[in-house]
Amino acid sequence: MRPGFLLGEVGNGLRRNFSMFVSVVLVTMVSLFFLGVGLLAQAQVSTAKGEWYDRVQVSIFLCTPDSTDAPGCTAGAVTPEQRDQIESDLQGLEPLVTEYFYESNAEAYERFTEQFRNSSALESVPQESIPASFRVNLSDPSRYDVIRAAFEQAPGVDSVEDQREVVDRLFAFLGALSWGALALAVAMVVCAVLLISTTIRLTAWTRRKETAIQRMVGASAFSIRLPFILETVVAALLGAALAVALLWATVRFGISGFLSELLAGESGLVSLVGERDLWLITPFLVGGAVLLAVVTAWTALRRHVRV
Amino acid sequence: MITMERVSLRYAKADPWALDEVDLDVRRGEFCFVVGESGSGKSSLLRLVILEQRPSRGRVLVAGHDLGELAPRRVHLLRRQIGTVFQDFRLLSGKTVHQNVAYVLQVLGASRHEIRQRVPETLDLVGLKGKGRRLPHELSGGEQQRVAIARAMVNKPPILLADEPTGNLDPDTSEEIVAILDRINRAGTTVVMATHDTTIVDHFRKRVVQLQDGQVVRDQAEGGYRQAVLP
Repeated sequence: MRPGFLLGEVGNGLRRNFSMFVSVVLVTMVSLFFLGVGLLAQAQVSTAKGEWYDRVQVSIFLCTPDSTDAPGCTAGAVTPEQRDQIESDLQGLEPLVTEYFYESNAEAYERFTEQFRNSSALESVPQESIPASFRVNLSDPSRYDVIRAAFEQAPGVDSVEDQREVVDRLFAFLGALSWGALALAVAMVVCAVLLISTTIRLTAWTRRKETAIQRMVGASAFSIRLPFILETVVAALLGAALAVALLWATVRFGISGFLSELLAGESGLVSLVGERDLWLITPFLVGGAVLLAVVTAWTALRRHVRV
Repeated sequence: MITMERVSLRYAKADPWALDEVDLDVRRGEFCFVVGESGSGKSSLLRLVILEQRPSRGRVLVAGHDLGELAPRRVHLLRRQIGTVFQDFRLLSGKTVHQNVAYVLQVLGASRHEIRQRVPETLDLVGLKGKGRRLPHELSGGEQQRVAIARAMVNKPPILLADEPTGNLDPDTSEEIVAILDRINRAGTTVVMATHDTTIVDHFRKRVVQLQDGQVVRDQAEGGYRQAVLP
């Protein structure tokens, strides 16, 4: 079969089954989009993990007049002497403690009012109930236990909190999001496989006269199947291209644009997935789509087209 | 060219034999009618030759291929050596006469030059000169069958099988069609034609192989449709 004739056959096939062709394109697009979202969410977790872990701190909250249940707070609010003692103990823990700073009750209240400026509950919170704290950076964040053991019972300390726990919950959420997207992607891929099989079956039926003639005059099995396979691959490639375009728009305008501005305004913490991550997964999305199309089409052809 | 040795065929174990211990030898360049009533096994015999069906028992040799030993992926090479014509023409309705015939060469990867040369040549052979641009529905039944013959012959196969090619045609047209097959045969192609058209068989006086209940009951050179009863 010569390339010109083959392309003509593929073009004819696509025209004759245009609606099925469009549906394969769309299903491929949606399944690859979810697959892409899942992969990007996983990339987000690994991108952010390092940076966030570097920045998270251990917070040592000091006693307020309200804190009574903590063993270090029996005497009420923290005294300046207790605070100095804690600070000198922190200095004694170098080099595990690489850096620390003190956030006074007034600074903490200011940050609190800024964070919850839209909340009506703000007025009912008195300034003295917001604790002062030491924010501590560790050279090895996993050795948080050392800090907890040293300060949990210390006079003037209400509680010791590892921010990593908070961040871990965020990562767990992102992880769940990515697995959810991947699960949807799997469901959509199953849809794509079934739809491609059905499309091949219908196409084989509409072209049964042609294939019967090809078979009769001695065309090889491969050349009878080739136009069907190429049509499916064209649909899959088009679906993959649309999915990548959609993912690009999501990353470009949704994440790099909207979300990063939003988060940078809040904390300046977050490094987000970008176009580079998308280009890294693109070959896998496109290659996967083509592989899926070829394998599904070949299997369906073996069942539905006699050669 | 076509040899069958003790060939039997049944489609399912519970079925009666469609062909029962058939021995047949069609030599290169022969013209052979296969006659018999409906269900006598004519079409089954042709299906074995193009390997649409493998025999339950026995050996089939076609154009030098032992079909029992032919791997499935090489079956298409056998089919390139056999042209096939059917009662219902099987033309592609959306393609012109020329395109219908050219389709075969395109599928088999012939060059444009070859197609430009061989399609008109073959249409000429079957008496359709100048009708290349017509669509099948614009042609009479006889003309459509000529297109089908041109399509079967355009690749110049050494064997031509015709399964009831005159079944849908009136007597005069039938005669014209068989005359074309006869002409093709005289040019060297081996022709096997299954038919139950009495007039045609009696008129052309070729070798006749008669089947009845899957068995060859007569194999006669220059025979008529029915065995002549001697006085």
